[in-house]
Amino acid sequence: MGSATEYNRRDLFKRAAAITVLAAGGTSLLAACAGGSGSGDSASASPTLGGDNKNPFGVKATDKLDVVIFTGGYGDDYAKQFEESYKKAYAGAVVSHLGTQEISGKLQPRFNAGSPPDVFDNSGAQAMKADVLVGADQLTDLTVLLDAPYLDDPTKKIRDVLLPGTIEAGTINGKMYSLSYVYTVFGLWYSAKLFKDKGWAVPKTWDEFITLCGTIKAAGVSPFAHQGKYPYYANYVILSMIAKQGGQDLVKRLNACEAAAWDDPAVLKAVTAFYQIMEKDYLLPGTNGMTHTESQTAWCQGKAAFIPSGSWLENEMLAATPADFDMAFLPIPALAGDKLAATSLWAGAGEPFMVPSKAANKAGGLEFLRMMLTKESSSTFVKAANSLTVLKDGVNPDVQLKPGTKSSAAAIKAAEATFSFTLQELQTAADAEIQNATNELVNKRISPADWVARGKAATSKKV
Amino acid sequence: MSTNTDATTGIPAQRASTADKPRKPGKEQRFADGGGVLNVFSHGFLALWAVLIIGPLVWIILGSFKNNKEIGDSAWSWPSHWGFGAFSRAWDKGIGDFFLNTLIVLAGSLTLTMLLGSMAAYVLARYEFRGNRIIFYFFVAGAMFPVYLALVPLFFMMKNLGTVIPWLGLNQYAGLILVYTAYSLPFTVFFLHSFFRSLPSAVHEAAMIDGCSHTRAFFQVMVPMAKSGLISVFIFNVLGQWNQYLLPLTLMQQKSSSDPDHSMLAQGLMNLAQQSGYASDFPGLFAGMTIAMLPVLVVYLSFQRQVQAGLTSATLK
Amino acid sequence: MRHRKTPFIFGFLVVPVVLYIFLVIWPYAQTFGYSLTDWPGAAPPRKFVGLDNYVALFKDSAFLSALQHNLLLLIVLPLVTILLALFFAFMLNVGGKSGTGGVQGVRGSAFYKVVFFFPQVLSVAILSMLFQGMYRTDKGGLLNGIVIALGLTDEQHPWDWTTNPTFGLWCVMAVLIWSSVGFYLVLFSAAMQSIPKDIYEAAMLDGAKRGTTFFKITLPLLWESIQTAWVYLAIVAMDAFALVSTMTPGSYYGGGPDHHSEIMATLLMRNFITFGKAGYACAMGVVIFFITLVLSVVSLRVSRRDKIEF
Repeated sequence: MGSATEYNRRDLFKRAAAITVLAAGGTSLLAACAGGSGSGDSASASPTLGGDNKNPFGVKATDKLDVVIFTGGYGDDYAKQFEESYKKAYAGAVVSHLGTQEISGKLQPRFNAGSPPDVFDNSGAQAMKADVLVGADQLTDLTVLLDAPYLDDPTKKIRDVLLPGTIEAGTINGKMYSLSYVYTVFGLWYSAKLFKDKGWAVPKTWDEFITLCGTIKAAGVSPFAHQGKYPYYANYVILSMIAKQGGQDLVKRLNACEAAAWDDPAVLKAVTAFYQIMEKDYLLPGTNGMTHTESQTAWCQGKAAFIPSGSWLENEMLAATPADFDMAFLPIPALAGDKLAATSLWAGAGEPFMVPSKAANKAGGLEFLRMMLTKESSSTFVKAANSLTVLKDGVNPDVQLKPGTKSSAAAIKAAEATFSFTLQELQTAADAEIQNATNELVNKRISPADWVARGKAATSKKV
Repeated sequence: MSTNTDATTGIPAQRASTADKPRKPGKEQRFADGGGVLNVFSHGFLALWAVLIIGPLVWIILGSFKNNKEIGDSAWSWPSHWGFGAFSRAWDKGIGDFFLNTLIVLAGSLTLTMLLGSMAAYVLARYEFRGNRIIFYFFVAGAMFPVYLALVPLFFMMKNLGTVIPWLGLNQYAGLILVYTAYSLPFTVFFLHSFFRSLPSAVHEAAMIDGCSHTRAFFQVMVPMAKSGLISVFIFNVLGQWNQYLLPLTLMQQKSSSDPDHSMLAQGLMNLAQQSGYASDFPGLFAGMTIAMLPVLVVYLSFQRQVQAGLTSATLK
Repeated sequence: MRHRKTPFIFGFLVVPVVLYIFLVIWPYAQTFGYSLTDWPGAAPPRKFVGLDNYVALFKDSAFLSALQHNLLLLIVLPLVTILLALFFAFMLNVGGKSGTGGVQGVRGSAFYKVVFFFPQVLSVAILSMLFQGMYRTDKGGLLNGIVIALGLTDEQHPWDWTTNPTFGLWCVMAVLIWSSVGFYLVLFSAAMQSIPKDIYEAAMLDGAKRGTTFFKITLPLLWESIQTAWVYLAIVAMDAFALVSTMTPGSYYGGGPDHHSEIMATLLMRNFITFGKAGYACAMGVVIFFITLVLSVVSLRVSRRDKIEF
């Protein structure tokens, strides 16, 4: 008789499905189960402000608080510090903490079993789909949090101290279900030290950028790296260029998956300009097939000058970044005829924190979120995670920002406008097609015009 | 049909060597064939393939001693300093616990698989009764369906089972043991079925005439006779269950933050790969692979005779 | 019969059959049912849609190309693996110097068998990580290190391996072959050893060449093992999910670039998980099931032949 191993291997290949979660941006398998059990019982009513000003949600110190934090680029040390302050405020409270990268892996069963945590950070490659959770009545409407008093200044409400866009980022079907805590900017990153050493001037316009790339290449450094295995990083550049060229209205139409939006000349103009990088052979050799870790590490080692990413980059690469690297952020350089100002950039609130509607200690979860939104907590986060929070003016003056964070903070301050694409979260099928097209583009297998055509075709996948 | 050079060289190689033959003085040779040429040829190919196997593994082990820069700079870089930092970083992620969890589950699931599988296979192979064929094909068919499609219903069933019998639910060793067993049954039954068929019936009949019960005849007569087949199927199941990934990932999940972590080794490894991704720790990743590889290597090398003998008996049913 | 058979048969079968039906058959059966619904995976199915999912499936160009890729795997993977394994097994058993002792294997054949088998015991998680390191697309990858050292290309133009639209799938296939050959080598080798040496020696005394003995003696006697091997490799080829989804580019379960290495399993998982089209994915699974079923029945029919007794 023959071999069994091959048969058994066949099984394990399938069982390895979730391997892909690490490689890919997909949600885990069990996201598919979300709410399967929640369908029967309707969501508990939104909590109301029952308590006093000091304790608006009526937290009982005797109730346990169960916190789950995504341990990605930001780690989870900051959350442990928040938990300490919670324990201080509610003496005797028992707080359990779970740091994990498998958010849906760990939480899906708990949601299905009706014993979710009291507050969780729904991020990472295995984040649960928020719209699915909402659809299954699994999340608490956070309006009550928005109307609660701001701890540092009880005359203000929480909603008054959030950066613009925060409430929108957490809003599904007209209600806010998640508090996105981190304010992220997307653009290009470079080593200010490298530029200073080589005497390269930071480009303001795309033409300058392309010219500089030539200089950089002549100096023996690859001008541009990107996380080629995951083409959405390159899309940060392309889509930003389109947004700046076409304006806020075009962003809205693209987000809505409107096919005609792709006919806007701004789209072709932007992607054609981007395509110069490939035409002039400015890519880091091999970057088209590299993972985020591989390409970003190469960039930290000075093999490439620019790399696109969000502002989690600095913290993510902390261990691999040389001490004197002097990381700096650059909004995508302006193209001639841009509708938006050169300083405008892709920015938005991310790292959504949620309170399950079936949480045992919902009041505690809400209070935890409220306690995250103090200047003290925000500074704690900035220090621990090297990224900005959505709290307006949320950094104590004594906090020493890391160079990359400082530079992105300055860029936010200087930005005349911010825009944000939601395709990656809300139109996964269309986004996957656009990513495929981008991958073809950076490999010079299709032309910019083809890219536009494929983007337009992708809108048929609108959900 | 594809023509793969590697593959096709196999057969032409034979022809080439025989074509060379006439040029050689043949009278000294007992057999009219060029064993010498063939010998060089065989060694060349065999050695090449051996290098293809060993090379990558050695490269991974070397990688766990390099630093990020050396790994990224060139494939040929040599570790500048031999330290075990990467190993301790990888070990701190709990690889030891993952090993232990895996061993606990495998001990249970392999015992159960072998027991239940051989019982079912034996009855199906040697007893005529209505529905025999149907049950047999039922088992065989189960081997063909992609497991991931059963996962979601399976997950809910285990969850519900856990509410009735807590120690069989999610994140329970016993629950996973049952699932492993169930999913190993199709192959085990299929394999042992043909094995039990091939055994001579004389001994069994003699035992029955002596007044042996069916059950005793199975455990005391047939099982010893089927030992070699049982060993091979056992080895296959060890390999298969050792490498399970999607099932434990789905079923061994902590229900609350205070639930113990019962992750299997493969799960733990992928988690390590993920963490290395976030921390940009390539040496840690390489070290984790090495740690996971070495015990398997040692066990395999210690038992390779049995593994090969098991396979041999598989072909000599 | 003095012994009552029925209670015994029942007693031996009840536990395995119940366990199997409850944990294996029943979940699968539910999948069949779901394939006729618009199940989004996240919530209960909303409505029964009949065969709509199946109709849509055969209009989906990505599915059709995935099907082609699976068929390619189905032909190439078993063919190459079996040929290589046969070749090596023949070398190990009959390829050595022929002297007065008669036909024998090359020296060190035990060593080769141990080494060649080793990839089989590596977890697929390790296989994937290992080969991602090997196929790395810059000079840090082992394979690029080799082609650069050989002067086939330079550091500025490393090869793109799994991210190449033409070769990506072949790169994955190479990993599967790499890991499987040893197993079948040992399997065939065992079968060859069971062929009495006198058959060879008699044939060679009759003037048969060694190559001839392979085709006239070895191959026919190994036929059964080869067919078994083909069946198992075909099952692997129908899947290949873990490696394709992790090693090839693309944000959701690989399959890239641009569907060039898409297989049915990756497409299924992407629809199932990422796009929330679980009913559609179940239909895909049912199609995969029937393809596998037909293949298995066909191969079982073909391989049914008389046993050669020595």
